[in-house]
Amino acid sequence: MTPELIKLVFIDGMMAAVAATGFAVISNPSRKAIFVSAFLAAIGHSLRFFLIKSGVEISVATFLAASCIGLLSIIFARIIHCPAEVFSFPSLLPMIPGMFAYRTILSLIKFMQSTEVVKAQGFMLDFFHNGMTTLFILLALVVGVSLPVLIFPKFSFSVTRKY
Amino acid sequence: MNDNVEKKEPNIQEIADLLIKIASTLMSSGAHTMRIIQNVSRIAETFGYHMDLSVFQLSIMMTIINKKDSSKRLTLIKKTKPLLLNFTIVSDLSALSWETYDKKTPFEEIKKELHQIITTKRMSRWLVLLLVSCANASFCGLFGGDLIAIALVFAGTFAGFLLRQEMMKKHVNHLVVFTTSAFVASLIAGVGYVFKIGNTPEIALASSVLYLIPGVPLINSMLDIIEGHILTGIARLVNASSLIVCITIGLFASMLILGLEKL
Repeated sequence: MTPELIKLVFIDGMMAAVAATGFAVISNPSRKAIFVSAFLAAIGHSLRFFLIKSGVEISVATFLAASCIGLLSIIFARIIHCPAEVFSFPSLLPMIPGMFAYRTILSLIKFMQSTEVVKAQGFMLDFFHNGMTTLFILLALVVGVSLPVLIFPKFSFSVTRKY
Repeated sequence: MNDNVEKKEPNIQEIADLLIKIASTLMSSGAHTMRIIQNVSRIAETFGYHMDLSVFQLSIMMTIINKKDSSKRLTLIKKTKPLLLNFTIVSDLSALSWETYDKKTPFEEIKKELHQIITTKRMSRWLVLLLVSCANASFCGLFGGDLIAIALVFAGTFAGFLLRQEMMKKHVNHLVVFTTSAFVASLIAGVGYVFKIGNTPEIALASSVLYLIPGVPLINSMLDIIEGHILTGIARLVNASSLIVCITIGLFASMLILGLEKL
């Protein structure tokens, strides 16, 4: 791990934190939850960035990052008495495969419009590549974040219980 | 339960109304199906009722049965309001359900608290606008855009999100809202491509519409599917996908205007 890489990972984490804050406020969480989700997003996204840089495939890296977020989020949920998904969902938002999602639809439109067979085949390939990536990243996010909930169900469903 | 509480016991209609109101509020605030069922059945349990619930995209069906006297039963169907994400409500209602379960809170008090939770004011829309613009700009940075691209995305998102807020206020069809906001945001972010400023105009254009991607509905849909609420999950997935199609159409329109072939 070179200092150069550490710097890149750090910058990535910072930007992910800003992105998570902004996307979190659309869903109107409480103040505490916003800070926690920014923190979790920074950790999760920089972990994913590091893994991808080390040569791990994107959906596997996403899965590991999401399970890290899930584990930390139930611990935080216990501390501030708030359901875990209130801040684990916003911290996943920077990892949502938005660009892959609309590229899927875009290549579908292009496929419809292209008249040459070779070009059309290229767009078909794009469609499947982007579509499958979207689907697998989404699944990796959700399974990863709910893995801790499946392992400790009692603990995670009673975090808002105060008595 | 002591006699004092027994006397004030609310009747079945009142309880059913309260429960289904909580369920539909949770649904329109963006909770996933499992949480809705757990929260509402916890409160039903407190009043001595057994509850069955099915959640659909536009309506909720609920039957409650008194545990002591099974002839007392009631089924209700209620329309849900359109989705307006509000995680404060989700978190507060979850806390309310546990409080009711543990402290046996009286019926009237729950009603009062529910009213208070629903009427709590949202965060200022201008602050949200500013933060969303910053978020999308830093998103552009994550994808490797340079400073000019980041500035363009900030401007595009600001205009697009402002337009979205205004149109939502006037209750324009949400598919139209998403298409126009995506179009405006990507058109502004595409300025760099036309005037050849900055080194990464494609990244600016590509990340300018990402603030519209319905992330929470997508996560909720996958969560519903893996938890076994497949029908609700697929409904949410189709809903989110149709929004993504709208975003793409908006983006595609501005790509045509700017003369861009590939992204």
